[in-house]
Amino acid sequence: MVLAWTLPAFFYLALLSVKPERIMVERSALIFWPTFERYRDIVVSDLGLPIWNSLLTSTAGALFTLALASLAAVTFTFLDFRGKALLFLLMLLPRMFPPVTTLIPIQLAMKTLGLIDTRAALIILFTGFQIPLAIWIMRTYLDEIPRELAESAAIDGASIPAIVARIVLPLAGPGLLAAFILAFIFNWNEFLFPLIVTSFHAKTGSVAIMNFAGGYKKLQWGSLAVLGVVMTMPVILFVLAFRAALIRGFTAGALKG
Amino acid sequence: MTWATLGRGRLAFALLMLPAVIYVLTWRLAPALYTVWLSLTQYNIVYDAAPQLNHLENYRRIVHDSTLGEALRLSVIFAVLATAVELAIGLAAAAFFDSDPPGRNLLLGIFLLPMIMAPVVVGTVWSALFDRTVGPIPYLFELLHGPDVQWLGTPVTAMVGLIFSDAWEWAPLAALLLFSAMQAIPREQHDAARSDGASSWQLFFRVVLPQITGMLVVAGGLRLMDAFLELDKVIVMTGGGPGTSTQLVSMYVYKQAFQAYDLGYASTVITTLLALLAVAYAFYLRHYGRTLMSART
Repeated sequence: MVLAWTLPAFFYLALLSVKPERIMVERSALIFWPTFERYRDIVVSDLGLPIWNSLLTSTAGALFTLALASLAAVTFTFLDFRGKALLFLLMLLPRMFPPVTTLIPIQLAMKTLGLIDTRAALIILFTGFQIPLAIWIMRTYLDEIPRELAESAAIDGASIPAIVARIVLPLAGPGLLAAFILAFIFNWNEFLFPLIVTSFHAKTGSVAIMNFAGGYKKLQWGSLAVLGVVMTMPVILFVLAFRAALIRGFTAGALKG
Repeated sequence: MTWATLGRGRLAFALLMLPAVIYVLTWRLAPALYTVWLSLTQYNIVYDAAPQLNHLENYRRIVHDSTLGEALRLSVIFAVLATAVELAIGLAAAAFFDSDPPGRNLLLGIFLLPMIMAPVVVGTVWSALFDRTVGPIPYLFELLHGPDVQWLGTPVTAMVGLIFSDAWEWAPLAALLLFSAMQAIPREQHDAARSDGASSWQLFFRVVLPQITGMLVVAGGLRLMDAFLELDKVIVMTGGGPGTSTQLVSMYVYKQAFQAYDLGYASTVITTLLALLAVAYAFYLRHYGRTLMSART
């Protein structure tokens, strides 16, 4: 029953993506000899570029997010200082802003910096978007590390950077992985910001889909479906591989801290 | 005492945190504040070289903007209907998962896919399903000798289409939250009701449902606020059309900013909406914060 709600739409998209062009509009034809030409074409045609852009910027953005957020999470977990709760709240606050809030200033800023339609612009933005969520996720994992472990190292004379590098981060592996995957998926799915800061060279998969849907829609359903399937594949892989961590993180993401 | 208070630790820790804090302030908080400032200015990038303060002129304009009023009305309709459908489907799905079917976790994973995949792809999927040349939904109508409907090209049905796609994407979230609330109910209560001879329906309506009303409100509130500002699927599926029949309030803002280039006025609308939402959010947190907290674990 549950699957009857979710799956048919997926299957139909997959079906369209391999349906030969000449029977594309024969909707009664559900069984046919599939064609994978469009998947092959995507590698060599200019549709490969947006996918590559998406992959590159999402990964780089997630890595930078992780670098900044995991260090900050260490401080938020282990150091007690005045105003900590307030600062933490301030860091989480942007998660509650709907994306339209910052679209305009971000586009102006990117214009001023001369970064419109560059991958750098996307990486800069993606890094910032996921820091709050990543800090929060890292914190839930870091809280599980026994403090005594770090304390005894400090008493033995280890410096703070050494403690972080040798003890805390190695133990935070699962948290790092969870934060990376979530940041990657959110970046990969991001649409509005790539839409307003990129146009051609740096456009992402989502923007490419939009260009198709907006333009010569009627003729190109096959390629559109292929793009849709390709854009969904990493998500499906991650879901199958890391279900538990993802469900935890997505509930958190939806609740917005 | 914590080890962090030992010696020079504090400075090193502050340095660890600093980059992330500065980054978020620069790229997340500052832009939001800039939007608020822009809302006080006349700034159409076609005519104006720089933003100029215009004595709350934009806020006066909002009050008389009938297009905005219509957009707000559509957003409310969209948000309410989509949320209702999502809660209904979510509730059914959660009850199903709560009955411990075989392969539950795998099923749950699959069920959650729509909310994890890109919203643009969700929009594409539903555009395809409703399309008159390749879509199965018009085809089904044809087979059943129903009316030939231009689903996304007719005002009312375009809205119905958007609501369906939103329900498909977000019913999983409602299901997930309600499922976690149902799991928190002690199993003994199920057993006790059963041994008293309660049917499955009675069990659900008399035992389960009364205990998850708090979460129903939470899930509904989350979806209402999110759906109210829906933009991605509107851009992909209808572009706000036909005419302005699906021009939700975010789409209106988007058009003001990126098609009419009236950044000042667009910022004003955003700021006003945010203020309204902040009030709603504060009210909501105050009353349901506790349920929300328990949902996280």
